[in-house]
Amino acid sequence: MYFEIDSKVRDDKGLCLLRNETHRFAEEVMRPAAKKLDRMPDPEQVIAKGSPYWNVLKEMKAMGYHRLFFHKDYGGLGLSAIEAHIILEELGWGSVGLATAIGVDQVPAGVASLFALGDVIDNLVIPWAEDTEAKFHGCWGVTEPECGSDYIMATQESFLPYVRQLHPGQVKADNSGDGWVINGPKANWLSSAPAATHAGLHVTLPPHDSLANGAFCIVPLEQKGVTKGKPIDKLGLRDDPQGDLVFDNVYIPDDYMIIRPPFYELRVGQILCLTSCFVGTIFTGLARAAFEEALEYSKNRTQGGKPICEHQSIKHKLYAMFEKVESSRYYTRKVMEHVWEKIYIEGTFDASSMHALSAQIYGKRSAFEVAHEAVQIFGGYGLTRDFLVEKLFRDARAGLIEDGTTEVLGLSAAYNIIQEYC
Amino acid sequence: MAIFPSKDWIEAVLEAAKKSEAYKEAAKEWEGDFLCVVQGDEEFLRELSRKEVMQGFMSLMDMIPAQDRAKYKDTPTGKVFESLGIPVDVSIKDLNLDEVMNKAAKLSAEDIKGVSLYVWADFWHGAVRNMMPVAPDEHEDAVFKLSGTYSAWKLMVSGKQDTIRLIMSNKLQLQGNMSYMMKHMKAVVLLTKEVFAGVPID
Repeated sequence: MYFEIDSKVRDDKGLCLLRNETHRFAEEVMRPAAKKLDRMPDPEQVIAKGSPYWNVLKEMKAMGYHRLFFHKDYGGLGLSAIEAHIILEELGWGSVGLATAIGVDQVPAGVASLFALGDVIDNLVIPWAEDTEAKFHGCWGVTEPECGSDYIMATQESFLPYVRQLHPGQVKADNSGDGWVINGPKANWLSSAPAATHAGLHVTLPPHDSLANGAFCIVPLEQKGVTKGKPIDKLGLRDDPQGDLVFDNVYIPDDYMIIRPPFYELRVGQILCLTSCFVGTIFTGLARAAFEEALEYSKNRTQGGKPICEHQSIKHKLYAMFEKVESSRYYTRKVMEHVWEKIYIEGTFDASSMHALSAQIYGKRSAFEVAHEAVQIFGGYGLTRDFLVEKLFRDARAGLIEDGTTEVLGLSAAYNIIQEYC
Repeated sequence: MAIFPSKDWIEAVLEAAKKSEAYKEAAKEWEGDFLCVVQGDEEFLRELSRKEVMQGFMSLMDMIPAQDRAKYKDTPTGKVFESLGIPVDVSIKDLNLDEVMNKAAKLSAEDIKGVSLYVWADFWHGAVRNMMPVAPDEHEDAVFKLSGTYSAWKLMVSGKQDTIRLIMSNKLQLQGNMSYMMKHMKAVVLLTKEVFAGVPID
């Protein structure tokens, strides 16, 4: 296990126990399941009855990982930012795909736990938080066939003219008196959508002229009018089933419309701060996993009469990888503490987007660079299926696109930097 | 313990605002007054059967000059005044509370429909410069107008519920520059947590 430089964490027996327990779960439960899921030739097998996907999901729910981001008064665990960060890094170490599944799982009810009141809390959020059998499974419906990562820019004022030119949004909600009717398609890239029971869905509202005129709602997916696409066959994150959702006159009650104008732009930006910390941290876990694989291999693999870690070129690589993993951990942790403070402690919802986005980008980029170098250290063996490192590399590559391409996230952060840095 | 809304409550809130350094710091850049509209609901009707609540309600109305209070005439609130035997345009200090209570017992949910009380509060650079009940149509040009039922307001002023969650779930309706409010969220949060919740209500 890595040396923790923060003495507040290192000397806290509770935090050490939490880290060790979560690591054990990641190693004994997540990794073996992720390996099996990754090798399934047909992605539909991943979500089939009896698949390890469901077993892991149930076990993660039994551990309470599905409510890390819930408000403490509405089903949340009331963890500190550091506790959440420790858990997420370990989950990412075990499998970024399965960690993503438990991340998007909490989007519908977790967002409701932050902003809603009334029946939706009693009838959905609390039962969701208490579920240990994976009766509920969430996904996050953002991107659309005509609007990919650009959807994120809908929350940035400066991009609105561009977003308007690009597309006004395809999934639309119209008021039906006592509720809303939803129509339109979401893209193939929705994590867990093929297996989900509910979506946390981004929609546009009348007059449907812009993504900025948007709203966030919860849509139960087991109902007439919802078509769930088959899981797509992809390069990386194969243990996280992704697919599209199509809505044809799907009804939701009014209180399932969780965020509506004029709150959409500002509140969605804060949700992105939370998800960015989440993503940056789980990819830090992946980076560490790749580094540890490479370090171990380099100590055992002999060439030129000595372990390859004694060759200078490998030492350079190991050092650079170590530096990235460590800086990624402490940067994502610091940003998570900031976001946690603004959302869960102060309740001011004014976390710094530029920092949250950079934590996500930094975590994902570090994971890719470290996994890339890890494959290089393994040489030809790094390309074979005999070693975990090739999966880590594929997953890390997917990360540069998943949850927003690093380019679009960077553009979004740059807007905040230009406006707010002084 | 103060009754919400009442003269005592307003005075206690003004005092709490003066004492809260955290609020003063968080709101030091805030410029904007609020017109608060408290709408009668079933909880308000139930509460009016308590003598101290009725007393608080009357003390609040008494803060409005009689000629301004006359604007309540022909409004649902004015009609409730009438049913209670409270004249809208003369002093109500000397009314017999027991008689008013007897009449209040006969009020129905239908009577309370459309009843609204208006409180204007002027928040300026960390201070609450003024807070007072006003008559209908007064201070309609306030920067923000926050409306909601008596029960929703009680959740907010007691600190039991977060203001923005109440607004987002449509329990309270806000008119005004939302971006401005969001940029000063700390001031909004501390107004609820430190100032309003600093005055326990009965």
